[in-house]
Amino acid sequence: MSSPILLEAVGIEKYYGKFAALGGVNLKVRANTVHSVIGPNGAGKTTLFHMLTGTKSVSAGRILFDGYDVTHEPDHRRVQRGIARSFQVTSLFQSLSVRENLRLAAQGIAPAMAMNCWHPPEGRRSCAETVANVLSKLGLESFATVPAGNLSHGQQRRLEVGMALAARPKAIFLDEPTSGMGIDDLDEMKRFIKSLRADHTVVLIEHNMNIVMDISDTVTVMQQGKVLAEGLPHEIRSNDSVRAAYLGNMITGGKA
Amino acid sequence: MKKNTHLFLALAVVLIMPLLMNSGSLASEVLIFGLAAMGCNLLLGFTGLLSFGQGIFFGLGSYTIALTLTRWPLPMPVALVLAMVMGGLGAAIVGWIAIRQKGTYFVMLTLAFAQMFYFIAYTATGLTGGDNGLLDIPRPSITVFGQTLWPLVTPWQFYGFVAVVFMVAFWLLLKVSRSTFGRTLLAVRDNEERAGAIGYNLKILKLQAFIISGVVTGLAGALHAMMTGIAPLSNAEYHTSEMILVMTVIGGTGNLFASVLGSAFYLLLADWLSTLWPRWLLLLGLVLIAVSLWMQRGLWGLGEKLWAAVGRKRDRASSQSRAPGEKA
Repeated sequence: MSSPILLEAVGIEKYYGKFAALGGVNLKVRANTVHSVIGPNGAGKTTLFHMLTGTKSVSAGRILFDGYDVTHEPDHRRVQRGIARSFQVTSLFQSLSVRENLRLAAQGIAPAMAMNCWHPPEGRRSCAETVANVLSKLGLESFATVPAGNLSHGQQRRLEVGMALAARPKAIFLDEPTSGMGIDDLDEMKRFIKSLRADHTVVLIEHNMNIVMDISDTVTVMQQGKVLAEGLPHEIRSNDSVRAAYLGNMITGGKA
Repeated sequence: MKKNTHLFLALAVVLIMPLLMNSGSLASEVLIFGLAAMGCNLLLGFTGLLSFGQGIFFGLGSYTIALTLTRWPLPMPVALVLAMVMGGLGAAIVGWIAIRQKGTYFVMLTLAFAQMFYFIAYTATGLTGGDNGLLDIPRPSITVFGQTLWPLVTPWQFYGFVAVVFMVAFWLLLKVSRSTFGRTLLAVRDNEERAGAIGYNLKILKLQAFIISGVVTGLAGALHAMMTGIAPLSNAEYHTSEMILVMTVIGGTGNLFASVLGSAFYLLLADWLSTLWPRWLLLLGLVLIAVSLWMQRGLWGLGEKLWAAVGRKRDRASSQSRAPGEKA
């Protein structure tokens, strides 16, 4: 647990009118760890993700990433800093092929290329190496030319994560990557997320406690827009207030 | 081979029209509005932006070339370029403000600009001639060192000039649509939120699309003014925006050649029906309803379907004729 801190959020608040979706959240994420954020529905996990990745702006607080203050940078700027995310509800370019989806995601870290009105994205402009690399990691090589909208749900969920991966980010934010997945795909996804830790820092929202407890280095529990507890998986599992907040039995669902 | 199919199709249209049509002006108009519809298509079909502001850029092109050719002794090609610059500039201003909103409000903003531009053009009589428009626009022949290279006197001579400009613009737009930029626009059209999340600055992408669209539409407006010899107020009217949009949708969005089909269909149908029945726009309404209900990919989509059906029939026929031979 001695790796440096890659991301630090201080006193993050988010108000929708008078409703405080986030009421002052502090979070430190260490490099090359899997840091899970859990909590009951409505705890503010996804809102926190929106703040950290720049999808939406904060009402108050500061976000430091890799030594930079990114608090007021929009999402597309933070991609350049090394932040990439996946979405809870699959968000792909449905009519474009799997390969094109990944190519666009890979090209996103050099968005000036996108203004090129003359050259097609071929040859050295095709990000072919990154795309091939991600395709093989996702096991979607044979679907490269299929429109993303024609993939099965499980494949779309994998591509959803792959989109974040194609940006070769320092930190990858995964918002419920297993949502709606069949039981067969779960173990594979778990192994996949765990394997990301070698090259990336993973921040994970996940409801499946089996996965969370197995692969996390740190677990942050949220409730009603605040951090309720933080610690190692086994500490969280035996934390009384977490048990009370989280309907007790759900959190012990994973194997001991 | 496949890469150049659309270029050949466009060339075929350009070459066939003089053989089949009597009016060189009508043929020129098909190409001119084809250009305008392509500009619209870049926004609607490639970027997912429904703009009612195309008439502004068309009008700007018309007025600019009218003013330069009647008041300043500038060579015609320079005047054309100036019209394109003005179209692009207008699009940059409209786009810069309109892209701050999405969906309905974006559409409303373009509509508001279209109305404002109309009333500005109506009021600024010193520049635009107001209700009368600008008249007596000359159509100088293309000369090099005093030698007339290409006279633009008859409608078909002018058509030749328009055809060359059209083919160059078509080739350039095709290039843009297949470039890294064009491919990124498709991502914006498909899913704006994701395009932003993977690192693209949506505003700059949309603005560039707007400017290119404005340049092409300005060019179309200028050629139209040269063709008719006038820059009427109606070129700046909301109706022009609507007509360009209808052509784009009828032809089929997301495909540049389809816009030429849309323009040809609209103008030829209008030319034919208006002689039969003064209320012909009613029939055009029926066509629009049919496109919206059953053939959202427009005439191009219909053509593709028919082509595929013919292909299947031919396959079946050839496999049937082969079958007995294989048995033997």
